[in-house]
Amino acid sequence: MTSHAYNFGFLDEYAKKEVRRAILKAIAIPGYQVPYASREMPMGRGFGTGGLQLTLALIGPDEIVKVIDQGSDDSVNAVNLRQFIEMTCPGVSTTTCTAECTLLQTRHRIPELPLTAEQIIVLQVPYPDPLVVVESSENKRKTMHGEADYSRLLVKLYEDIVKYDEITISHRYPTRINGHYVIDPSPIPRWDVAKLNNSAALLLFGAGREKKIYAVPPHTRAEPLVFSDVPFRVEDFRDEAGQRRVCARCGCANSFLDEFVGDAGNKTYQCSDSDWCDEQLQRAEQVQGVAA
Amino acid sequence: MNDLMQPLPGLDVWHPATQQAVFRRLLDCYSHPGRVEACGDTDRAPLTALLATLLDAETSLADPHHLIKAGDWPKLEVRSGTAEHAAFVVANGTLAADFTPRLGTLESPEQSATLLLLVNSLVNPLGNEQARSGGQCLNLKLSGPGIPGTLKLAVSGLHPGWLSARADWVAVFPLGVDLILCDSRGFTALPRTTHIELEVC
Repeated sequence: MTSHAYNFGFLDEYAKKEVRRAILKAIAIPGYQVPYASREMPMGRGFGTGGLQLTLALIGPDEIVKVIDQGSDDSVNAVNLRQFIEMTCPGVSTTTCTAECTLLQTRHRIPELPLTAEQIIVLQVPYPDPLVVVESSENKRKTMHGEADYSRLLVKLYEDIVKYDEITISHRYPTRINGHYVIDPSPIPRWDVAKLNNSAALLLFGAGREKKIYAVPPHTRAEPLVFSDVPFRVEDFRDEAGQRRVCARCGCANSFLDEFVGDAGNKTYQCSDSDWCDEQLQRAEQVQGVAA
Repeated sequence: MNDLMQPLPGLDVWHPATQQAVFRRLLDCYSHPGRVEACGDTDRAPLTALLATLLDAETSLADPHHLIKAGDWPKLEVRSGTAEHAAFVVANGTLAADFTPRLGTLESPEQSATLLLLVNSLVNPLGNEQARSGGQCLNLKLSGPGIPGTLKLAVSGLHPGWLSARADWVAVFPLGVDLILCDSRGFTALPRTTHIELEVC
């Protein structure tokens, strides 16, 4: 079978229309999880099928697509999804450069480079409902969401403070959108939560297995759930001496860092966003070139 | 109003590629409420292009003012419903609102209607520019999600009754309706979250 045997974008037009209608409702009701009939994709659920269906419903022949997995363009999930998009969407070009892309599908990171109004970011979501940790019945959760009743979630956060002196959620930090719905912003680190607030780009979230689509429109309030006396805190990259760790590769001191453990047990740190790291490295080399 | 339904030279609105392009413009309108987008070079009026883009047999459409050509119904494949129950309602914006569309429920606010209103003209005025003549002109000052600060939208040919009815319909978030306004060249969206202030012309 050649790639021409597929419809443009793999999905049939009825599937695309349904996803498109769900996207519009998701934008009109910011943070609400719109149910949709998630299609069977030629990859396992949990491998980004929700994000992929959003991408394929949005994509046009002039699109410039970037796919990342934990900030990297070259990890398995990103490479597979990119190849699938290239195969099923003839004419579409792909890039690793954040500034160039018009559509960005991501697993668990938002790029360091601020996105623009001309870009759309699609996030892959494993667990869309932040209330699932306190309420197992979806019917009850839907009522709680409708009433914006997040008291039990706040109790959970309070219990963390009582037990550990700190809210221990490292990623998927519950975030309130436009003062009503609280979303699970997908497993992005706390570092990225601030990027949801008043974003220039439209953010779309797709949970394929859980059959939900939700959105954070541009220029919309997104506030992490906190208490007035316990401010929200992002990852702390200072070492024992209180110095901010820098990327071992490019030297960047203001990016989200991944920790690598060497054979000897030594730890090194490197930018999680590979395109950002390359850009910083290139800039540093240019500066060195000018100096030489 | 019937001339809006006549074919124009341009892209076939029944073709998936045209529908993708129209959808992306509509998506921009939803992301940036009140922003007027041109429909592009389609062979049919923006209203028909939007209906072709959004509808299929999974959803329902009401046409209380008979704006859709009989020959288009089979192509839209959509189920016909009443204005009170349909997921999409097409109406003539110059006439007063005389029905209550479905508003969704607290648990499932997505089960609310999307209204497509045909008006005479839509423009984002620069400075003191007014909407083109043709019926009563309304100057709207918009704010809310998707709008940094405020945005002005001048609409002519929209009965003010729609705005007061909409204010009632969207009063209790998350319930409400989402409006799409169309003229002969393009469209704009007013989701339920958009706050509308009516300015005197």
